[in-house]
Amino acid sequence: MGLSARLKARQLALRKLKDIILFMENEICVLGRPLNKVFEELAKGSYGGVWRPVFERSGSMLKEQSMDAGTAWRIALGEAAVSLPLAGEDMDILRDFGELLGKSDRQMQQAVLDMEKEKIAAMELKAKEAAETNGKLYRNLGALLGAALVILLI
Amino acid sequence: MAGIQRVDDLSRIKGYLPERIRKAVEKISPETASCLEELRINAGGPLNGVFSGFDRFITEEGFFTSLPDDALHVTREEVEDLFYRLCEHSLYAYQDEIARGFLTLKGGCRAGICGRVIYQGQTVRGMRDVSSVCIRISRELKGCAEEVFPFIRSGRYDIYNTMIISPPRCGKTTMLRDICRIISTGSEKADFAGLRTVVIDERSEIAACYRGIPQNDCGPRTDVLDGCRKPEGIEMALRGMSPAVIIMDELGTRQDAESIKMAWNAGTRIVATAHAYDTDDFKRRLGFDILTGENGFERYIVLGIHNGKRWVKVTDAYGNRLYGTDQACRVHDGVYGMHCHRNGAVGKAESQAACTSEA
Repeated sequence: MGLSARLKARQLALRKLKDIILFMENEICVLGRPLNKVFEELAKGSYGGVWRPVFERSGSMLKEQSMDAGTAWRIALGEAAVSLPLAGEDMDILRDFGELLGKSDRQMQQAVLDMEKEKIAAMELKAKEAAETNGKLYRNLGALLGAALVILLI
Repeated sequence: MAGIQRVDDLSRIKGYLPERIRKAVEKISPETASCLEELRINAGGPLNGVFSGFDRFITEEGFFTSLPDDALHVTREEVEDLFYRLCEHSLYAYQDEIARGFLTLKGGCRAGICGRVIYQGQTVRGMRDVSSVCIRISRELKGCAEEVFPFIRSGRYDIYNTMIISPPRCGKTTMLRDICRIISTGSEKADFAGLRTVVIDERSEIAACYRGIPQNDCGPRTDVLDGCRKPEGIEMALRGMSPAVIIMDELGTRQDAESIKMAWNAGTRIVATAHAYDTDDFKRRLGFDILTGENGFERYIVLGIHNGKRWVKVTDAYGNRLYGTDQACRVHDGVYGMHCHRNGAVGKAESQAACTSEA
């Protein structure tokens, strides 16, 4: 994947995560389904997108009851880090995503998810800016290098 | 009582237990484990196992002792971990159950919880800082009501209104559950066709529904109103399900008694339980007088324990004895409820305890 495409993919991945949080909000705060079922659902269909392996892994760890959502999420995110088109700073912020999930009542879970939505919106904005500035730079750089190569060949 | 089938297994709860507690429980011999009724886990306290009529502390090696100092002491973190495991790490999914003080687990066991109660106005909103958990191991004892059932049937298609009474922990719910199963399934032996039955399971103990699925066998013609208060449940069942029989556990208020009258007026039979020592004690309880006498319950099943042995008797509304096993005619070990192998395994547990104490 090219550098410019990767910046675009980063933006799309964060947007997807925002959609996923909306889905989780419904499942958790309205339907009251347990986290392992929510994660399982996200791992099953196409809804999870690039995040599917993370939810699949953390969902199965939760189902085994060996750990809480925060730990399961951290492990799964770490394992999938290579395949996710995210920057280091995104990973640092997302590492704590599962920390407060499942540890309070529906009202508080709503507040937790709202907070996560805001964090991801800010990350998405940063990614968008990066895609606009750096993406343009990478594209122009690519075009210049291509032109230089053609001149050299002539 | 060869037909009795025990459906219980500690493996149903092992998955929920934190490692140290799980290891200790796994070391308990299967015979002793099958007699365990409750596991009491207190933060900072010794792990406690409750049997019929007595309790013992459990050591890290899975032995029983009467000395708390020798027992496995549970930490605060372990209780917290256990609580999260019981809630599948999703407190919000169990917040209504937490507010009621207990959780029904997969497999039908029940976990009572204690901690700091949080109020919202006048209603309990939840609990935090959970300090103790009591896991009650439910015992489904299929066939335990077969001997008494012929005395509560009133022909092939009908039963008598029946009240099961006993002090706590004598097997009322186990008996009720099996009666429900027989009524719903029917019995060739008792020449009884199955009837439409509704269980009003206020405390999720009869059917023990876990995410809508009954964990205990209540028969093929049974519908369950889970977590529903009895007066509302009776009204809902009469309106929507047209049951021939309504089953409910632990009557306690005048309102319950009045609702039963309403069900009788609609022609529905009732099988219920209540805490009382005998029929006279039951009649004296507040509000229950309207359920006794000529227009009240027609059969009483009284359960009790004497010298560690369970007994049962069936009487009619006038106190005439129809069936009974008592000290002269003891019930076999393993028949009534959770106390099979009493002389064997529990005896062994006690001797284990004695050994541990001496050590």
